[in-house]
Amino acid sequence: MNPPNPTTVAASPPETPPSRRAIRLPKDRHAIVDNFFRFQSLFGLVAVFLIAIAVSPSRNGENVFLSSGNLANIVRAVSEIGIIAVGMTFVILIGGIDLSVGAVLGLAAVGSATLMVDSGLGIVPTVLIVLFIGTAFGATQGAIVARIGIQSFIVTLAGLQAARGIARMWSGGLGIPIAYGEGPQEAPEAFSLLSGSINGVLPVPALIFLAIGVGALLVLRSTAFARHVYAIGGNEKAARLSGVPVRRVRVTVFAISGLLAALAGIIHAGQLNQGSPNDGAGYELDAIAAVVIGGTSLAGGSGSMGGTIAGALLLGILNNILALNNIDANVQLVVKGLVIVAAAALQRLRPRIA
Amino acid sequence: MTDRPLVRMTGIGKRFGGVHACRDIDLTVTAGEVHALLGENGAGKSTLINVLSGVITEHDGTIEVDGEPVSFAGPADAQRAGIATIHQELDLVAGLSIAENMFLGREPRTRLGTVDIRRMRRQAEAHLRTLGADLDPRRLVGSLRVGEQQLVEIGRALSLRARVLIMDEPTAALADAEVERLFATIAELRRAGVGIVYISHRMAEIELIADRVTVLRNGTVAGTVDPRLASREDIIQLMVGRSVDALFGEGRNEPGDVLLDVRGLAVTPRRPVPGRTEPAGVDLTVRSGEIVGLAGLMGAGRTELLETLFGAGGSGRRVGQVTIGDRPYRPGGPRAALARGVAFVPEDRRGAGLMLEHSVADNVVLSALSSLTTLGLVRRPLLRRTVAEQLTTLAVKAASPSIPVATLSGGNQQKIVFAKQLLRRPRLLLLDEPTRGVDIGAKAEIYHLLHRLADSGMAILLASSELPELLSLCDRVVVLHRGRTVAMLPRASATQQAILAAANGDDVKESR
Ligand SMILES: Nc1ncnc2c1ncn2[C@@H]1O[C@H](COP(=O)(O)OP(=O)(O)OP(=O)(O)O)[C@@H](O)[C@H]1O
Ligand SMILES: [Mg+2]
Repeated sequence: MNPPNPTTVAASPPETPPSRRAIRLPKDRHAIVDNFFRFQSLFGLVAVFLIAIAVSPSRNGENVFLSSGNLANIVRAVSEIGIIAVGMTFVILIGGIDLSVGAVLGLAAVGSATLMVDSGLGIVPTVLIVLFIGTAFGATQGAIVARIGIQSFIVTLAGLQAARGIARMWSGGLGIPIAYGEGPQEAPEAFSLLSGSINGVLPVPALIFLAIGVGALLVLRSTAFARHVYAIGGNEKAARLSGVPVRRVRVTVFAISGLLAALAGIIHAGQLNQGSPNDGAGYELDAIAAVVIGGTSLAGGSGSMGGTIAGALLLGILNNILALNNIDANVQLVVKGLVIVAAAALQRLRPRIA
Repeated sequence: MTDRPLVRMTGIGKRFGGVHACRDIDLTVTAGEVHALLGENGAGKSTLINVLSGVITEHDGTIEVDGEPVSFAGPADAQRAGIATIHQELDLVAGLSIAENMFLGREPRTRLGTVDIRRMRRQAEAHLRTLGADLDPRRLVGSLRVGEQQLVEIGRALSLRARVLIMDEPTAALADAEVERLFATIAELRRAGVGIVYISHRMAEIELIADRVTVLRNGTVAGTVDPRLASREDIIQLMVGRSVDALFGEGRNEPGDVLLDVRGLAVTPRRPVPGRTEPAGVDLTVRSGEIVGLAGLMGAGRTELLETLFGAGGSGRRVGQVTIGDRPYRPGGPRAALARGVAFVPEDRRGAGLMLEHSVADNVVLSALSSLTTLGLVRRPLLRRTVAEQLTTLAVKAASPSIPVATLSGGNQQKIVFAKQLLRRPRLLLLDEPTRGVDIGAKAEIYHLLHRLADSGMAILLASSELPELLSLCDRVVVLHRGRTVAMLPRASATQQAILAAANGDDVKESR
């Protein structure tokens, strides 16, 4: 029998089950490493921000990227994906996925336009009805996942198709333009606020994203609900035996995701002054990307809301700086793909700490 | 016995961050000996054998096999060098069959290069039969009880035909009959010149089979003794550094009224699951302040009964009457059970008890969150205090409450599951193998704790495959056989023989 070659000592053999993978304690010199990984997405955000400043073109000696107009554009562009990603974070934390959010956004945009323009409803009833539809749609998907036990990937894939179909039927397959005014077939003027800014600097959608993001961050930090969410993602059986209302939490989480997707849809309609059944196509993937870049594990049980918010902003800055430098849109896609893989790869290196 | 050791480990050291799990440990294994490794939870036993089995590759010190220095890059290397390991935490693939698990990575081939399924099954069955396990090798491992999974692990290690066999608490989930069969197998292997490293917290086993005992304490060797010369007290002294006080005999309060009353409980599952023995006629009572033991062979239906009482069993038609207090009790699920003051410590701590990657604190408070929140918001200072109290009460050895449970030693993980349920202050506590993998000192602490809880009026129903545990701890012992109550023995008449006879279903002829 040949003794194995002593030089082949590998760090951690891939076939080692997780239980025995080297697990380090958040102590002494590991604290630095650990904190780096914990705030990985924040560091990534800062790095991308600095790079963006460096490679930004300048006009009249002014850095285009840093101009207030451009920064406003970035946060405006990010806000819809960001709001969806907040909901997606909850879903992914329980080990699920919600592919229906882009379609629900489209459905909500169509709903907003139709209810105001065709049905002549005011802003408040319109918003309430649309948010209710989104929430109910999400809750229904959650109930199917929780009760029947079908994987959320499949349920929400079906939900995606259904929501698109409903939106097409509702709108007759066409985009519904929103005109503002007092007359029939016109929406209340106030709805156009969604495309405006506060003091001409902070876009309203960005403000909403900020509020939702901070709210979700607090919820995830300090509520019992959040601990239940993490527990289900960590070990569903243990959670159930500990008395966690697993089904109820599941349904709630999907309802939140539907609610936030509908909210993003209302904002979408307000920004574009129309609601089209094809709005939001592919947004679910951007939202998932933001969550993953933010360091939340697709296996569930670990991750943070701060990470998701940073991830969404990072993606927005990336898109912006590539566009500012007139880089081909197809190249942008490739770069985005690389960033996602890089973020996920960094996660693999992280010492495993919950 | 030859003089040159099969394996010689010298100066083994291993750190995890700030924790020194092993420090300068020397260990040898000679052909044909059973070398027992003892020590408290967290003493470094598993870490040491993880080094020897190639799971831990970065460590200090050297390993020699047959006098040749070796360096393992992974578990496969160690296996090739003739070292097979039964790990403490079972790592089988739930979605594969027993046979597939046993031959994972070295499946027998046909001449065409495809997997020789029939040969694989035949061999798997043969290995299981030597262990006295009557299991269909086609069954999915995910459907097996913990004890059965342990037998599969042992079978897998046997099938490697290793020269050094490491067993890390192989009997923790086995009942007496299975343990006996395992010991017969060990005796045979020893005669065939296999060197065996054996880890267990059950002193009686050590006295029965060990040729040599090495005691670890806080990561170092506290001493190596001959078990025929050293007394049990000496060995415990080496392990804990003090003597463990006599466990029992303290005065107990008189039990109160009947709290749990089970009559003719039987469950007909809607979809029968192979290997599950649902209750098929269970009668028992537990009074408040009383500790009632559940005895039975593997597959007697102890776990299923506890699960049913906790509302966590399979769905199906239920007959019979169960009352708690004076009200009928039919829990729809664990939540309903917890609401009625019933708590449950499951036997499978990794699968059903813990969120391994989450912190100790998160795990401890999970089931008691409602008492630690106002308006849905978690009260952090209170939570921290509560966790600290629980960890102290149970003497959990953890660097801090914020480290992941996965980094605790096996016994300490078990204490976390325990701590979690006690936080609910239940009226009825259902325990399934509560001291599995717990060291002597901690076991004594848990026994004291159970006595205290019972004296404070809690009713405790406890399933254990360790007969001495049942005998010394319980006021009464209920014996199950194939899902039925076959005996109810008060403390005075509960002897090892009486329990075993009943468990074997004295009137029923059994094949296994
Ligand atoms: N992967 C790890 N990361 C950090 N610490 C670890 C890791 N594995 C073990 N430890 C620590 O090393 C020490 C020794 O653990 P080990 O599992 O070897 O104990 P043990 O003697 O096998 O205990 P038990 O009887 O409970 O199984 C413990 O303090 C444990 O917390
Ligand atoms: Mg161990």
